[in-house]
Amino acid sequence: MSLGTKKFVITRFDPDRDTEPRTEEYEIPVQSDWKVLDAINFIKDEIDGSLSYRWSCRMAVCGSCGMMVNGEPKLTCKTALSSYGDSLTIEPLANFPTIRDLVVEMDGFMDKFQKVKPWIIQAKERAVEEGPQHQSPEDLQAFKQFSMCINCMLCYSACPVVATDPEFLGPAAIALGHRYNMDSRDEGADERNAVFRGEGTIFSCSYANECSEVCPKNVDPAGAVNQAKFNAVVDWASSFVVKREKE
Amino acid sequence: MKALLLRLEPLIWLLFGQGILIGTILLTGWLLVVGVLLPLGIVGTGADEALSYRRIYLLASTPVGRLVILALVALPLWKGAHHIRHLFIDHGGADHDAPIALSLYAIATAGSLAAIVAVIRL
Amino acid sequence: MSRAAHPDAMSPAEPGRTRTAPPQKPASWPSHPRMRVYTLFGWTGVLYLLIGFGLLETAWSLGQGEVVWDAKLASFSHPAYVAFHLLCLVSVVFVAVRFFRLFPKSQPARIGPAKPPPRPVILAGLYAVWLGVTALFVAILSGAIFS
Repeated sequence: MSLGTKKFVITRFDPDRDTEPRTEEYEIPVQSDWKVLDAINFIKDEIDGSLSYRWSCRMAVCGSCGMMVNGEPKLTCKTALSSYGDSLTIEPLANFPTIRDLVVEMDGFMDKFQKVKPWIIQAKERAVEEGPQHQSPEDLQAFKQFSMCINCMLCYSACPVVATDPEFLGPAAIALGHRYNMDSRDEGADERNAVFRGEGTIFSCSYANECSEVCPKNVDPAGAVNQAKFNAVVDWASSFVVKREKE
Repeated sequence: MKALLLRLEPLIWLLFGQGILIGTILLTGWLLVVGVLLPLGIVGTGADEALSYRRIYLLASTPVGRLVILALVALPLWKGAHHIRHLFIDHGGADHDAPIALSLYAIATAGSLAAIVAVIRL
Repeated sequence: MSRAAHPDAMSPAEPGRTRTAPPQKPASWPSHPRMRVYTLFGWTGVLYLLIGFGLLETAWSLGQGEVVWDAKLASFSHPAYVAFHLLCLVSVVFVAVRFFRLFPKSQPARIGPAKPPPRPVILAGLYAVWLGVTALFVAILSGAIFS
């Protein structure tokens, strides 16, 4: 069913031609069941094929289509057009450098991820003959929520500390590190807590809770970060009591 | 300077967290008394009254009283220092965070030490 | 007002092959209601610092004798001091409500064998302690207890 027309004010930036980002306006007919991504796809297909943006699954599991819609970070495949008035402003994700149009530089995000060692760390690799490592439902509940992250980076756009402190690890990276710290199979909490307390310290988080407000998968990164702070303090305190290898 | 700050962060966060939790819980009652009951004349400092020097001194000089006073002074200072530091960061001061933070925490430390002296004097 | 984020925000360790536009903060800041609450929460830090030093002065005056103590408490009835205390009271309540809302989910699922209570129980417990301690404090300072 037609919803009439809506105006889209979209940020454009071509590094070969533009000194700085500019905007272009597109007025298009829209359908009542459209998401914002449908409108952007229509613009690219029918009006301006040069518009550049990331998207993939259309069902909020790949995390590709994050953009700012009227100043708020959203997954455009999950955001209904009917929630908005006659005009929408579409911008690349905030707090990230922009490569072109709505495509942001992701390598900084990947750098932060690698720092938290997001894999199972075990002192001795488990032999196949030992069989699978069993976990109870309770073991799983301790970290499952934090494993649901789809790396969409909306939380980085929402975080006031990410905007002003380039070294801060950020919500998703810390949540992922915490996910592994809470995994009963993992033995790398000491290593990760050293990272958490080092450069990019998790204590820079000011608990604005914006990351959890915008997370499309209810990961609750704010909860993860602040649980991680608590664990890091326990780890720090116990380091005075228990001798361990130098960090 | 940054390295020193990083080493102290867990302790600072703990003090700040307790500043919010315990400090806030304790401050409410104090502010109700001195901000509402006292100006309204419901309590007073006369010789037989609730806030008389003699009575408050007796209460304050107990071990629990000294601890409460210490918490009431020190913990809000740590909450305050930490949040002011974040205000600087939020307004573009991240590149100068280390000296700003250490200065603010030095102020909170000085106040906490003065509070220790104040309760010992009682 | 400039929306520029820190110029190095989310920048990669190795620069990319093409020039990038600098990072911008969200357009919805600072007027977004949640960001206003967050900013206010930060500004209460100024009041906490002031009230902390005010309390230090009060504690100090208690150690200096009756005359100084009486003068100190008499000064609390000055309109400026009343306004300051009431502003602090509003701030403290605001801080408590926001912090209590966020506190339960900041407890890890377990530390070793220990597990925290369910989140609604933690929240109820926080309010119970807050109201209970406040009532006790007021009762003691107003002479209802230990008169």
